[in-house]
Amino acid sequence: MNLLDIRNLSIELVTGSEPILAVDRVSLTMKEGEVRGLVGESGSGKSLLAQAIIGVLDDKWKVHADRFHWRGQDLLRLTPEERKKVITKDVAMIFQEPMACLDPTTTIGSQLEEAIDEQLLSGNFWQRRKQRKKSIIRLLHKVGIKKHIECINSYPHQLTEALCQRIMIAIALAKKPLLLIADEPTAAMESTNQGQIFRLLSSLNQLKNMSILLISHDLENITHWTNTITVMYSGQFVEAGTTSQIFNQPYHPYTKALIDCSPKANIHLPTKSRLMTLPGSIPILQHLPIGCRLGPRCPRAQQECVQAPKVTNHHGHQVSCHFSLKGSK
Amino acid sequence: MTTLLEVYDLSKSYKLKGHWYNRKVNNALEPLSFVLQAHKTLAIVGEVGSGKSTLAKLLVGAEKPSTGKIKLNGQTLEAGNFKQRCQHIRMIFQDSGTTLNPSLTIQKLLDEPLKLNTDLNEQERIHLIRNTLQKVGLLADHMNFYPHMFSGGQKQRISLARAIILQPQVIILDEALASLDPSLRSQMINLLLDLQQQMGLAFILISHNLGIVKHFSDDMMVLSGGKVVEYGKTHELIKNPKHKYTQKLLMAQNFQLLSK
Repeated sequence: MNLLDIRNLSIELVTGSEPILAVDRVSLTMKEGEVRGLVGESGSGKSLLAQAIIGVLDDKWKVHADRFHWRGQDLLRLTPEERKKVITKDVAMIFQEPMACLDPTTTIGSQLEEAIDEQLLSGNFWQRRKQRKKSIIRLLHKVGIKKHIECINSYPHQLTEALCQRIMIAIALAKKPLLLIADEPTAAMESTNQGQIFRLLSSLNQLKNMSILLISHDLENITHWTNTITVMYSGQFVEAGTTSQIFNQPYHPYTKALIDCSPKANIHLPTKSRLMTLPGSIPILQHLPIGCRLGPRCPRAQQECVQAPKVTNHHGHQVSCHFSLKGSK
Repeated sequence: MTTLLEVYDLSKSYKLKGHWYNRKVNNALEPLSFVLQAHKTLAIVGEVGSGKSTLAKLLVGAEKPSTGKIKLNGQTLEAGNFKQRCQHIRMIFQDSGTTLNPSLTIQKLLDEPLKLNTDLNEQERIHLIRNTLQKVGLLADHMNFYPHMFSGGQKQRISLARAIILQPQVIILDEALASLDPSLRSQMINLLLDLQQQMGLAFILISHNLGIVKHFSDDMMVLSGGKVVEYGKTHELIKNPKHKYTQKLLMAQNFQLLSK
């Protein structure tokens, strides 16, 4: 059974004059034990989508969906309280800047303690304190921190960024979630630290069978760690498929451009040659093009592109384009 | 090929607080030397605290070196002589949004370095600004815009325009490409490569994205803890890295895995 099943999710920003469609009919499914990458450049609505899953968007944003199921349960029909209960039990999220997300005024230990679920502790009230401390240490060991005593007693500013991100992951793991949403966990991190965090996440995925939704703006960074990838552009669904499908045979011109413009992916590219790139820049939210939003930048755009294309499915490889690269190869 | 920039035994150490009998010194950068030619790019790679930003600061003149000499076209650059230096060596920073003054229009912003460093009259300055904006792929009309009206990629182009407006010989890119989106980043790389061919610029590229380093640079220097670990031609260095640290860096970006 699918863990998360979202069909045609739209998120609207309610403004004075007319609502702006920030996310336009995006579908996303997650199976148990899957690592899915969600790739899109800035303004593609990937963080909004994550926030909509968690349910932390405020009243300015309106969420519609044809289907929004969490393990067979329709989340949109639940009351906010019930929904919160379901989500906090099974879903956890880690954020971009771990330093900014941790409380600077208290120690790591007490922040971890807050995250520990009381119901998982057994024993009488005089034993609880000790148990809580034990489970904190266990959590720290799980994320690969060996010096747990120093770590518990220190404040966030005393630790490095990678360590802080590990602690964020530890806090997220406290409830034993089924799905971990990682919103650009390694942005602004050094490459060696990036590798550490990704390795930790993938080992958690393999050992605990935890699904991970890995959000990133850079396709090349995450391809090594994901099973499947969903690509978004400017709030619209672009392409979804397994990593090798996306990487070796992209059907959508946008995905192809993303792969072509990465010098890391094209190892045989002669140095100092011009890189393939799309003209223009990403449209801003106030002036979105109609139809397919890639239209003005797309090398294959034709008249039909003023109508938003339907999603077509080729053996699990979904693409949303009138003139996909499927036939041309 | 003419030698543009020569650096001999450049080093920087900071004195730490302590008693007079217990002076401690932090060697941010151990002595290093390199030579940079016109039309060439030197990439500097390393982790946090490896001294790559210190090196950039020393070259651009924001810090005084403890030892060593910097020569540009055979002339020694003196610490503190900004007039001489800022015409020839310019720098672009990582976060272009915060380096542009939000209360000035683009015209005034680009006018400032011209007023301070050249004796062109107003007509000529406007003409030069217009040309420079076109060179970096913006329109002349953008002169009257304020920085907040531009997107991230365009802001980076404006800071590039500010860097090249004085016709410098060396441009230092301190993580200038890191915060851009991939499609804008490749536009920017193309633009930089074009400018290098047209104007004969030499770049010093500080980056931790080895894909860009490999594509962009001719020479490469790996720093670790203020020391030069490896220095050589980029393609040779990436093909067979000798030092363990370089191998680790390459492994971390799983170069081998992607090259299938």
